[in-house]
Amino acid sequence: MIHDLDPRIHGALDGELDRAALTPDERALVERLDAAARALSGTPVVPGLSRRVMGIIRRPLASPVARFRRWLTSPQPVTLSLRPVYSLVIVALAVVLWRGPVPAPMLGAHEGVAQFVARFPEAHSVAVVGAFNDWRPEATPLADDDHDGVWDARVILPAGQHEYMFVVDGERWVSDPLAGRYVDDGFGRQNAVLVVRPVRSE
Amino acid sequence: MTPLLLLLLLLPQQNDGRLAEHVPAAALPGVHAIITRAAQDSLPTEPLVEKALEGGAKGASPEMIVTAVGAEEARLRNARDLLRRAGAPGPYGTRELQSVSLALARGLPDRIVAEVVGSVKDTTPGFALHAVADLTAHGFGADSSAALIVAALGSGLSGQRLLDVAAAADRELQRGSTRPQALARVRSILPAVPSQPLPPGAMQGATRPKRSP
Repeated sequence: MIHDLDPRIHGALDGELDRAALTPDERALVERLDAAARALSGTPVVPGLSRRVMGIIRRPLASPVARFRRWLTSPQPVTLSLRPVYSLVIVALAVVLWRGPVPAPMLGAHEGVAQFVARFPEAHSVAVVGAFNDWRPEATPLADDDHDGVWDARVILPAGQHEYMFVVDGERWVSDPLAGRYVDDGFGRQNAVLVVRPVRSE
Repeated sequence: MTPLLLLLLLLPQQNDGRLAEHVPAAALPGVHAIITRAAQDSLPTEPLVEKALEGGAKGASPEMIVTAVGAEEARLRNARDLLRRAGAPGPYGTRELQSVSLALARGLPDRIVAEVVGSVKDTTPGFALHAVADLTAHGFGADSSAALIVAALGSGLSGQRLLDVAAAADRELQRGSTRPQALARVRSILPAVPSQPLPPGAMQGATRPKRSP
């Protein structure tokens, strides 16, 4: 409001302009403002207010960490403004992208499921390799989701025999100690042999 | 005749990409020669390509890879000869030849394989041979194992149910039976050996393996 004050009135209030130079209307306004200022100066002060205010002003600043923690734990206003059309698009995308539980795969008449399980407590990665993935260690990794050292994978394979090995940490080739069936691989090692049963009876 | 010649010309080219990418260059001429010879003799070539890829993945030397592929070809040829001698009607598919080849590799004598192959009618002998090999792996004699599986075939069992016969004999062993007792017990209940159903949820999360492009 003070910014809207006429510079002449402002000057008269500050004593920089002689009030006799003012018009009667301007002089009346100056007198009303004077009276208001006098009334304000008579307002009773809250006891101890100055001390409390100065105490807060002079209190040393909290550490940056403490201020950050206070900022994190204190409620902060969050304003989210979305146009209705955007809201509808987001809802539609969520409906399209959410497909529910992964359904079990459809198997052919001559296919079965092989479950590979191996215990390698110190391993960082385990893969199963065989002719079914061209012996590529990166093709069929086993998982150890609960980090208990037991790795497993379920793989859909044609019914019948399959030779395989495990590859630990990408470089160590290991025969499955639980397979029970083995054949020489022609390269100085032994492949484990798995017989996959067709899921559907013949 | 012309289609056969075209096939022979195309086969090495089809396999070139996979082999060239994963098999040492020094092994390729020898591997190609074996594959071409096998194709000319109507033997399946895919097991030979797989054996070469296996050697490449395992870091085998070129000489070892060529030797292993040659041995695989010899096993397939031996398997086909055995099937012919056993009177099995041809032509023989890759799975059939590989089943016989693997049974021999697992230590079954030729005459036992021939006996089992001769007893299997209308289906491939794969599961029957696996069942016999499983029994011998558990210490049963080859002759008595083959006799049990032939008896199971005679009782009407076939395919993967023959694996249940071998599993039933193994369970009898685990229950404390001697091997002759186990065989006699299983033979007495044929064909009602318990089957092994797929455990609930066994297919959940199953994926198909990815092969080379």
